[in-house]
Amino acid sequence: MTTTLEHTATSAEPRGGGLARHQNFGTAIVAGVILAWVGWFVARHLFWSGSDNWSDQVATMTATGWMIGFWIGIGAFNAPFRWLVGNDNSRDEDLYYAGYKQGRARYWKYTTDHKVVGVQYIILTMSLLAVGGILAMAIRTELIVPGTHFVNQQVYNSFIAIHGMVMILALIVAVAGPWGNFVMPIMVGARDMAFPRLNALSLWTLVSAAFLLVTVLAVGGLPVGWVVLGTISDQAGVGMDFFAMTIVVFTVSTTVASINLITTVITMRTKGMTLDRLPIFVWGTMITAVLALYAFPFFFVAELNQILDRTVSTSFYVASGGGTSWLQANLFWLMGHPEVYVILIPAVAALFEISSVMARKPLFSYKTAIGAMVALSGLSALVWAHHMFTSGWAPTLGGPFMVTTEVISIPTGIFFLVLVGTLWRGNVWMRLPTLWMFGFIFNFIVGGVTGIYLSDIPLDEQLHGTMFVTAHFHYIFVGSVLFGAIAALAFWFPKVTGRFLDERLGRYSFWLVFIGVQLTFGAMFLSGLKGMPRRDASYSLAFEHTNFISTIGAYIIMAGMLILLGAIITSWRKGEPSGPNPWHANSLEWQVPTPVPLENFLEDPVITQDPYHYGEELVRP
Amino acid sequence: MSIADIEPQSEMHGGTEGHHEDPVKVDGRQRVGIWLFIGADVVTVAAILFTYLYLRGVDTAGHWMEMEGYKGNLHTYAFWENQYLNGTLANPKAIYVGTLSAGLQWLTAGLTVVSAAVLWFGEKGLRATKNAKAFSPVAVVAMLLTLAGVVVSAIQLRDIPQIFVAVNDSITMSYTTYDSAMMAIVGSTLGHLVLLAFLGLGLAIRSARGAISGEKWYQVRLVRYFWVWVAISSVVTTLITTSINTVH
Repeated sequence: MTTTLEHTATSAEPRGGGLARHQNFGTAIVAGVILAWVGWFVARHLFWSGSDNWSDQVATMTATGWMIGFWIGIGAFNAPFRWLVGNDNSRDEDLYYAGYKQGRARYWKYTTDHKVVGVQYIILTMSLLAVGGILAMAIRTELIVPGTHFVNQQVYNSFIAIHGMVMILALIVAVAGPWGNFVMPIMVGARDMAFPRLNALSLWTLVSAAFLLVTVLAVGGLPVGWVVLGTISDQAGVGMDFFAMTIVVFTVSTTVASINLITTVITMRTKGMTLDRLPIFVWGTMITAVLALYAFPFFFVAELNQILDRTVSTSFYVASGGGTSWLQANLFWLMGHPEVYVILIPAVAALFEISSVMARKPLFSYKTAIGAMVALSGLSALVWAHHMFTSGWAPTLGGPFMVTTEVISIPTGIFFLVLVGTLWRGNVWMRLPTLWMFGFIFNFIVGGVTGIYLSDIPLDEQLHGTMFVTAHFHYIFVGSVLFGAIAALAFWFPKVTGRFLDERLGRYSFWLVFIGVQLTFGAMFLSGLKGMPRRDASYSLAFEHTNFISTIGAYIIMAGMLILLGAIITSWRKGEPSGPNPWHANSLEWQVPTPVPLENFLEDPVITQDPYHYGEELVRP
Repeated sequence: MSIADIEPQSEMHGGTEGHHEDPVKVDGRQRVGIWLFIGADVVTVAAILFTYLYLRGVDTAGHWMEMEGYKGNLHTYAFWENQYLNGTLANPKAIYVGTLSAGLQWLTAGLTVVSAAVLWFGEKGLRATKNAKAFSPVAVVAMLLTLAGVVVSAIQLRDIPQIFVAVNDSITMSYTTYDSAMMAIVGSTLGHLVLLAFLGLGLAIRSARGAISGEKWYQVRLVRYFWVWVAISSVVTTLITTSINTVH
């Protein structure tokens, strides 16, 4: 690969920027609020207030105003406008947009440097986890004893819906967002993402959508669950309009991010970085991006139909008009199950990376690991109806969908084999990332095996709609994905900050969260087996003890997460210096200086072997 | 050390002039990007068509093209509601809405196909003659054709019949499921055409200002890929919705 930069004399600050010099997160909020108000005002006068749809029309226009205002305020429209008028960025302007010599301010702007975007994703993920976590604590507090005592049923259901969707958004970006942006381009030897401006666009559209999602709680809530089934979402208030707009924008953000990730891997690998030398994490993020590109358009159309039903009285899901909620359920779950693997695969791929480095061994069965991720992605598109076994939709398809769902256990089983095979007889370095990885392995076994139970139709008939299902997917999302995400954070934290994540606090956090997960969701399995329904603020005395244990467990998780937050903040500010390659790893991100230069490499690297050639001589016989 | 302390101070970026990435690489990258974007759009259009075919397949309560109520439009909303509240409303009638105008659908598809052909021939001319100034009016023509498609699509949306039904002690506007699905399909076409018009205008301005030239023509090809896809999707959706529409 030849160098594409021409280096001339050094200079001070880049002179470019233009309007972007005045645009940042603050102006985005202000412009968003102003245009939201304009949308609200215009809609109130434009639409006939006697119509049943009036409040939904006003809410949708308000939400649209917010989105457009936010994007104008942050600078998302600058580049399309400049393209339109044929006024392309100069080198100076590109440098300005990349955040060159802007200090902290660049983290609050439409900055194109992939490393800045990666850090922004870290902050966004932590913020979303905080909001979702607070709602989880509110939910568990309500469930600590029978009866409604903390919030009423409607508020409880709103908490469930927003907790669910906020956590889904957080986990979708938890690994692929920070590390797919910060380290992935460096891993392939690229100087930035393929489309740096689209990179910033995907981040900031997600931020605008996240704000709107949280606002749902302030406009009447969303007492219909995060799946927003067509049969009941028709009766929801204007919170449903904000929710639907959030999803539409979120799917656009994900699509843009996926295109960027895939293009970067396909077209920007450095010389010698052949596909069979790609770090496994890069494979994971690319496969995830392909899956997202397939799955999220279904969600986009599902929610667009909701918006049309609510604002212009179409009949997609409205039974009285000939619509059917099965359509919504199909569109939703066509996205919904692949989405589980969009969340899971990046975390697993990061753990593959970590296992090899920490065990000082080559990754066990590299090609099989890639095959398993590809197979899992392909199969995930063929299992969506298992979420509808009890709905009455296409009962004759139950058998085939049961089989495809059970077949999924094969590639997920391979994940375990790869992880355990890599660790087996390795000189395992028990640092923080390793600890969280072991937590993942344990929890993923529990979550995975209980998933096989639920794929079985006779058992699913019994357990569907119970807390057993809730416990199962929390073992996957919290016990597995979150543990994987924290392991990835601990692993790559030194590359971002130049410092280790505090080992002592990190271990306290691990044990608290690990024990908390077993108490919370282990007891929840028992509640579900005894028949406790989901999405109910009150319950019978029969479930009293297991719910009490679950709530105590949740508080323990919260304590552990707060300690982790403290560890992150203190380590970022004054943690133990790590140097550029604290884990003595071989992949490219560890070969560049810390802090990483603006375009990553002083000279383009040439790759001669895969990154997993760790001291075979150290492996125990 | 905090995050502010680790701002990269790369020596590589001392230069402020002279950075030009190899256009061949940029072209290759953007081509992959546009194909992926088209891939996502294919899934989106497929999901919209799935919606159409699914609703037609289930034909819940026979409401695919028929509904009991009162025919009207937005301006008669208050009229029907007043009649309902005054108790003077006649018994509802079964209203068969029929299909939307196939002629208008094919006209939109035809305009899109012709505009794609115009752009394609313009691109060929640009590459052969290296005359970017001559390409600008071609892009304008392509854009105007898509704007004509926008107008036709808007007329189609306007013509979708509204039906008023009594639900939950009030009158509410509704659409049959056929009309609902068609609204999504025509709306999607309209959205795509607006995007094409934006791209056409951009190409026209850029070629007039020299940002596109005989040597720097690859952006035209990228736009053409998307333009051709929109034309294909327009023909496919029109073919499906004009040939598979009534239930019986």
